[in-house]
Order: sequence, then C-alpha cells, then structure tokens
Amino acid sequence: MGLGFVIGAFGVMILAHAAYTTIQYRGLLKIMEEEFSGPPMNVVVELLLGLVLCMWAALTVPGKFLSIHPHSDENRIVSLPANMDFMIFNHRGKAFPSGMDMKLKH
Amino acid sequence: MVTKTEETQLNRLESQVEHGGGGAWDYLCLVRKLKVRRSDKVLKYGLSILNDPKKRSGLGAEEWTLYEQVAIAAMDCQCLDVAKDCINVLQKRFPESKRVGRLEGMLLEAKGSWAEAENAYASLLEDNPLDQVIHKRRVALAKAQGNLPGAIEFLNKYLEIFMADSDAWRELAEIYVSLQMYKQAAFCYEELILAQPTVPLYHLAYADVLYTLGGLENLQAAKKYYSSTVDLTGGKNTRALFGVCLCTSAITQLTKGRNKEDSPDLQSLATAALEKDYKQRASDKVSVLASALKSLKVSS
Repeated sequence: MGLGFVIGAFGVMILAHAAYTTIQYRGLLKIMEEEFSGPPMNVVVELLLGLVLCMWAALTVPGKFLSIHPHSDENRIVSLPANMDFMIFNHRGKAFPSGMDMKLKH
Repeated sequence: MVTKTEETQLNRLESQVEHGGGGAWDYLCLVRKLKVRRSDKVLKYGLSILNDPKKRSGLGAEEWTLYEQVAIAAMDCQCLDVAKDCINVLQKRFPESKRVGRLEGMLLEAKGSWAEAENAYASLLEDNPLDQVIHKRRVALAKAQGNLPGAIEFLNKYLEIFMADSDAWRELAEIYVSLQMYKQAAFCYEELILAQPTVPLYHLAYADVLYTLGGLENLQAAKKYYSSTVDLTGGKNTRALFGVCLCTSAITQLTKGRNKEDSPDLQSLATAALEKDYKQRASDKVSVLASALKSLKVSS
C-alpha cells in the first residue's frame, strides 16, 4: 500500500510537471515566433513514464484481483451448506451418544 | 455455499483446534458462516469457551450467538442437559424472545415430544404467521416423525409464499428423491438452477435425477447437465465425469450404435480426465477405474 501510493503520487507529479513544461515551451515558442509542431522530447518521455507509474499504482493500490473463473479455487463450490433450518434430531447419532460428559458450569 | 478455498481453510482450522493450536472461536465463526454441521466439535469447543469466564466475557455481544450455536449443537448430539442450560441462560437474558422460543421448541423436538413441539410452534406462529424459520421447523418436525407426505405438503404451502427460498426448494427436492418421485424432484432442481445458475452442484443433482428417470431424451439432457457441471467446475468434479461416461454408455445401448451423437469426443475426454485425476490422487485405484470404464465400453 505505502510503496504503491508513493509511486502513484510520484507519477501524478511527473504528469503535472509535463503539463507545466508544455505551457512554458509554448510561451517560449510565442516569444521566438515559431509554429507549435509537437511537444518536446522530454515532455513525451515524462508523459510515458507518468502513465506507466500511475497505471501500476492504480492496479496495485486498491487491492488484489479476484478470480472471475467459475472453476477457480475461490469460486468453485464444492459442497452445499447443510440445510440447518430443516435439521432433525432423531438421526443415528441418537442411538450412539457421544459419551462426552460435559456440563455448562456457571 | 462452501467454496474450495473456504473448505481448505475450515479443514486447516479444524486440525489446528484439534491439536490445541487455539483459534477455537475463529473455527466456530467459520462453521456458522459456512453453515456446516459439525455438531460434536461445536459442542466441545463452544462449551470450553463458555465454561471459561475470561474467554466468554471477551466475546462481548457475540456470547449469546455462541450460546445459541452450542445449544443447537448439543441437541444434535443428544446432550439435552447442556442444551437446556444454554437455553435457560438465553431465556434469562432475553425473556419474551421468539428466537429463544424457537430453541425451546427444538429442545422439545430433540426430546421426542412431538405434540408439545407442534403446540409450541403453533403458538409462535400465531404471534408472527410469516416467521420463515418456524415454518421450516414444522416441516422438519413432520420429517422427523417419518411423515414425509406431510412434510411435502407443508413445504409446498411454504413455497407458495416464499418462492425465492432455495434452501426450501432443495429440501423439497431431496425429500422427493428419497420417495423416488423423480419427476417432482426434477422440477425442484429446475427451479434451483433457474435461481442460481452458477452452482454446479444443482446441475449435478438435476443430471442425476434425469439419469435415474431414464429414457433417451432424459439421458441426453442428463449428459448435457453433467457436461455443464464439468464446465462450471473446470473438470474437477469426479461424479460429473463419471456421469458423462455413464450417460454415453446408456445412450449407446439404447440407440444400438446408430445415434446421431454430436460430440463423440466428450466421453473420451471425460475418461482421460478421470484417468489423470485418479493417477494424481489415488494411483492404486487406476486399475479399478480402467476395468470399470471397460465394462461401460467407453474406454475403447
């Protein structure tokens, strides 16, 4: 959580820095009276780096992925719950008392 | 529903508690959550918590849930004294409670005094005619007395009001199967599959019923449902794999070879999966499996 969060914050900062650099670059172009043909190289690199870091953080910070496959161990149902609401007590266990000598002491 | 992960966790906790590793309360919580019937263990470990004043007071309000759980487990183990003591404690804490009234009715059931239990439930129902659990107890009461037609009647009446209760549908299906009324059971399982289409065990049970009914159409449908079970479990359900083999063999016998089978690979895949599974988990039984499959004439 901690590491992922720090990396995500760093990624957002890089993106913000890229935006800031682009604005500065356009200001510079205006002064030099040149046409804007595309962002400079360092901004592109920053954008890509920021994208990767933010994506990585977004995928790790919120939590683990759960399986959606019906046959994965988390989803595969191996037994149904005993229907406890319909439980009856005169089963064969009645004929064989467990022999446990237990009392509720208070 | 108990998934594979939960089952593993339950078994791990159970052996841990059994060997004195602690975690009894976690185990009891898991048993309650998964609704599995481990009455002897619940009674043993639950009582040891209840008899320890320090541990018991550490539970806070959960203490009363534990009393209820232990009371029901005690009835299931025929330790009626323990059950009675637990119910008395609950009665003292919650006088007038319907839930405790239900427990008292169950105690009467466990003692075998059916008429008194019936009266207790009837008076509880008078106060609250839509109490689902009491209705279910009346079904169980009829079942306990061996009055299965009565249980069916009660359940049908109950299901007319509470149609979305899958547990009740399952119970009805199981009663029908025990009475060999397979058509009715099939209807119940259809209802269950409609309500919860992703539970492979309903598909499996439905396929079993269809296979038992017999006839070419039913066998073909059974094979489809066995296949859907295999699909939903990723081929880890041995019964479904065997079902596919049995259905194929039965269909071949009925049609004497001239069947317009649309998936001839299915049974060879199923036998391959079975063989692989047996080799992995019970390598000494592989020969038994091979002869069984040979007798079905499916392992060509």
